[in-house]
Amino acid sequence: MPMLSAKDVPTLLRKGGAARVAAEAPAKFAPGDRVVVRNLNPRGHTRAPRYIRCKAGTIDRDHGVFVFPDTHAHGKGPSPQHVYSVRFTAREVWGDDASPRDAIYIDLWDDYLDPA
Amino acid sequence: MNGVHDLGGMDGLGPIDYEADEPVFHAEWERRVFALTLAMGFYGAWNLDMSRHARERTPAAEYLSSSYYEIWLSGLERLLDEGGLLTRAEIDARAAVLRAEGS
Repeated sequence: MPMLSAKDVPTLLRKGGAARVAAEAPAKFAPGDRVVVRNLNPRGHTRAPRYIRCKAGTIDRDHGVFVFPDTHAHGKGPSPQHVYSVRFTAREVWGDDASPRDAIYIDLWDDYLDPA
Repeated sequence: MNGVHDLGGMDGLGPIDYEADEPVFHAEWERRVFALTLAMGFYGAWNLDMSRHARERTPAAEYLSSSYYEIWLSGLERLLDEGGLLTRAEIDARAAVLRAEGS
């Protein structure tokens, strides 16, 4: 294991922990694309909230390439891939009683999404 | 995992109590738990996603009745145990000593 000295801590706190990676990865989607969230129920870690699975949304923007938490949490490598801000209407998520004007934006990884 | 941490869309949890001028830490042990979790991550003992997953594996009933940093403590103990850095018995023995000292 590397040594961590007190003098390194301020720098690490300032720039450490970032999950954005420099790796190149093909983007499966572009802003404006319609997508549906996969029906994922992994035994391990995931950042795809339960309430958004099987819901359809629209890619709003591409954040770039990030470490994939679902593999990284289990020591199975960073699996770098694109993360998008995906827009879902409130009615798509919560049904007809939700406001027609509201929407929710959720950051989702390529492996959570299929074309709608 | 479909754990209790994934609260989005769940009802019946009561109001959120906002505290005016809330301090970052309410007790010294909270500061220490947070620092240990981050420092050992920088050291390479685990990564951000492993530590998040350790917190969300706090048993459901315990999770819902825990404060924010109690969940961090639960996660830290799990990481120390699973990483072979401390055993449950060592953690419990040390906690018993501290409890006896009243600290």
